[in-house]
Amino acid sequence: MSTPRWQPVATLLLALFGLGVSVYLTITHFDKVALVCSDSGTINCAKVTTSPQSVIFGIPVAMLGLFYFVPMVLLCLPAAWRSSDRRVHLARLGLAVVGVGMILYLLIAELFIIKAICLWCSSVHVVTFFLFVIIATASPMVLSSEHALSGGAHSTPSGRG
Amino acid sequence: MAPEQEKTKTGGNKPKPQNSQARAGQSAKDRSRAQSRAVSPKAPTGKSGRAKGAPSSGKGGNTPRPPAPGRPAPAQPQRRGISGAMMAWGAVGLVVVIVVVLVIVKVTTSSTNNSYTPTTAAPASVVHDVTNIPASVYNTVGINSPTVPVSPPTVLSNQPPMTLNGKSPAMLYYGAEYCPYCAAERWAMTAALSRFGTWSNLKITASSHTDVAAMTHTLSYRGATFTSPYLNFTGIEQFSTVPSSTSSSGFAILENPTAEEQAILAKYSSSKYNPNATTQGGISFPFVNINNQALISGASYNPTILAGQTWSQIASGLSDPTNPATQAIVATANYITAAICASTKGAPASVCQSPGVQAAARALKLG
Repeated sequence: MSTPRWQPVATLLLALFGLGVSVYLTITHFDKVALVCSDSGTINCAKVTTSPQSVIFGIPVAMLGLFYFVPMVLLCLPAAWRSSDRRVHLARLGLAVVGVGMILYLLIAELFIIKAICLWCSSVHVVTFFLFVIIATASPMVLSSEHALSGGAHSTPSGRG
Repeated sequence: MAPEQEKTKTGGNKPKPQNSQARAGQSAKDRSRAQSRAVSPKAPTGKSGRAKGAPSSGKGGNTPRPPAPGRPAPAQPQRRGISGAMMAWGAVGLVVVIVVVLVIVKVTTSSTNNSYTPTTAAPASVVHDVTNIPASVYNTVGINSPTVPVSPPTVLSNQPPMTLNGKSPAMLYYGAEYCPYCAAERWAMTAALSRFGTWSNLKITASSHTDVAAMTHTLSYRGATFTSPYLNFTGIEQFSTVPSSTSSSGFAILENPTAEEQAILAKYSSSKYNPNATTQGGISFPFVNINNQALISGASYNPTILAGQTWSQIASGLSDPTNPATQAIVATANYITAAICASTKGAPASVCQSPGVQAAARALKLG
């Protein structure tokens, strides 16, 4: 089994978009003037990005986004998708799971604690969710075919025809 | 697994087929052999799946059966892939369900929490207490609020006096009834302005029941007028306390700034003048511009100091300079008064020369 061509391309584009927004949010975390977003009512980026929940263990959430998307971009490169190293695919899957867990926490924080929605953050959440969907559904195929492939490389011919 | 694999491994020099094109060149025999080898020798799952060399048992006899013609042995990686795919889609479904539940809970909670405090005419006793704070209290407190820190206004330099409706000097307040920070600021602003003129039609209300510092009791400038020989004041309450799903703020719109007011707000809320600006072009409630000489963006003190107090309790407490809420309100009022005095050229002297206002003027470095 092989991975369809659209998955590496789609995940790479999503990860690059997420990286871009994370860079922007990181900049605005330190330079609040640059944040272009409503700052009153339900849609209130400033309220979200300056809330106590915008920092976890002393690290701004925007920077955590950077730490998430930089390796994600690398793991979503076509070369990484083609890699025969099982650890690459497991790392991508693990990162996707961590990402979706994080957005669930942040969604709870926005809806019930901060009571405001940040559109920029939401765009990152959507990207992270779709990354999770694509990676989670592709990983079983990739890991099983990669398993057979790597097994074949060492002990048997590649799996079934 | 060794014997046959070793044979395969050592027997051929050709590179092993890695893709479907290469695999297309395999003979049926090769494909059949490959399929058979894909079965794990450690865990035979069927008659045809038993690996060569594995101990045989049961009625199958001692000789392993070859795979039935045309029926490939089940490949374990594929089975694992299928069950893995089911798990993956299950996980995706779980995430979707969690998100949907969160949104439903949020929407349900919001729709059932539509309570608000209506805006009504302020009781005369409340208006009296706020607009007649003893001079001794102003002077005793000065700018000292040890329990609740008070932020001074931002002083601007080299700005032309504000003209509103053809009158100058002028002061512009832009806020909303639902806003808890406006709720805190209005007590001080109302008191400060009462030293320069007369209020009429003041209202009472309370901030949003769902925001921070919920239900902070306060005054409202909706429909109120302020007359003064010294200063032209305009108060804009853009949103009410009534929740509204159609409004961008979540609360019903009361009034919007005029073009003249909007121009002033846009100019002085920018980061060029306002160090507390949080967004490009965005304005935080409350925003107070005192004759282009001083700005207040956001509350001067934390509104939670007013929590649990009624209008009457807050107002009557204003005669006690040891009351923490009073200290915060009066210190803020002295700062606002000093900024207004800088615009009215020190008039009236009885106010502008008072010790409390002078202390604020010195802190603001106003001549």
